[in-house]
Amino acid sequence: MAARVIFDPEGFKNMEENGEVTGFSFRYKHQYYRGITLSIVHDVSVNIDGEDIPRENISLTVNGETFTLDQMTTVIDPDYRWEFGEYATVNVKKPGGLKAGTHTLVSVQHIAPSYMPFPWIRECKTEFTI
Amino acid sequence: MSYDIKRSISLYSYQDEYYDGLLDLEGCLRETAKTGATGVELLAEQMIKRFPNPIEDEKFRENWFATLDKYGLVPSCYDAFLENRIFPNRTLSLGEQVNMMKRDLRLAKLLGFPVIRTLVSTPMDVIEGSLEYAEQVGVKIGLEVHAPFSLNSDWAEGYLSMIRRTGTKFFGFIPDMGIFCKNLPDVVRDKARRMGATEEGLKIVDDAYAARVARGFTKIKYDLDLGKANMEYRMANGMAEMMEAVEKAGANPGNMWYAENSFTYSWSEPQDIIDNIGVIFHTHAKFYNVHEDLQETAVALPEVIEAFKKAGYQGFLSSEYEGGEHLRDVGVDSITQVARHQEAMRRLIEE
Repeated sequence: MAARVIFDPEGFKNMEENGEVTGFSFRYKHQYYRGITLSIVHDVSVNIDGEDIPRENISLTVNGETFTLDQMTTVIDPDYRWEFGEYATVNVKKPGGLKAGTHTLVSVQHIAPSYMPFPWIRECKTEFTI
Repeated sequence: MSYDIKRSISLYSYQDEYYDGLLDLEGCLRETAKTGATGVELLAEQMIKRFPNPIEDEKFRENWFATLDKYGLVPSCYDAFLENRIFPNRTLSLGEQVNMMKRDLRLAKLLGFPVIRTLVSTPMDVIEGSLEYAEQVGVKIGLEVHAPFSLNSDWAEGYLSMIRRTGTKFFGFIPDMGIFCKNLPDVVRDKARRMGATEEGLKIVDDAYAARVARGFTKIKYDLDLGKANMEYRMANGMAEMMEAVEKAGANPGNMWYAENSFTYSWSEPQDIIDNIGVIFHTHAKFYNVHEDLQETAVALPEVIEAFKKAGYQGFLSSEYEGGEHLRDVGVDSITQVARHQEAMRRLIEE
């Protein structure tokens, strides 16, 4: 038996657009216990090596479609749920991306299941090498 | 009174293996059958991807029923989540919520479930507005009675008076055995220790819990603002005094977490089951850790099953393993836990 795996170990990448590095991405599973519409994911924060990423620079890709955090509030289509046990890709705009080497990532998931008086907040932390 | 107590497993119990990709839906059904349980409880949104679309598909349903037959299982309860705050800017209107409830009743019917579980956050109007449809499709609505709620309480009385007023046979309760905890789960205490808790701080919380059990819990009030109701309940049961004592004893994160967590368990008299048996359709046999000698450390399983026997219960006791979330830093083995819990229940039912 081993500790639960949250991040996809193969998922840490710099993102390139027209030959330019525009940011980085990672893949992880949500820490709630059922599949959810993206509309109840109220926030996904990203802190990389101590630097907070502005909310507007973060988007999620689920089943091949990408939504900003603000757009997610209206996404209820069954094909674009964040399924239980499945990775979503988090895309982070950051000009130049990440330098080769080891990085520390802290990402907090804020999920608001309707029946819960308080949102489900889980901090996910990892170190990775790119 | 003669009883016919059947054993079921909520597939929620296998969530860690499902999360890790070790079990898929069929794998969960196979493990269920191996324990000797005959009932299956499902959280469709947990294990049916692209919910609810596949349930509308005849091929999917044929395969579902064929798989149940293959393992000798029957559907026991469908766990619904009334996502009435699906959009962050508003709560769904009453009509929208009733339609969502009807959708869940219909989906449950399509998969052969006789009962749906609804949550305490479901407004009374939504339940009442769905009763006619529930009767039409022949699926009962069971309100989960989960700690900190309890059966013999003003909160439950509100629902009982609705049952009397409407005369419905399609609404009742699904008690969760987390309301019959004589002790705090040992897996929770051990996790607090891994977080650095001191024995002194743990003892303060354990002693306070024992005192609440001895004295009897002050019951939670009916309020759709669950956050407010819950906070009042915690204060009425001595949370402030206990937290102060824990803080004085050192206030490390492990102790503070244990203290906070201790308010998610409660103790009701098993007599509550006997008093309410006519409106109990299904039961969540919540458990946290069953040892090799088949002792569950928190839920008073022998007393609770004795009460179900005395009451002449005719439904399912559905294992719901909730210890795994406290073991994710060291590893979870739900399959072994559920098998032990089923064996413990089998012996108590058959003895």
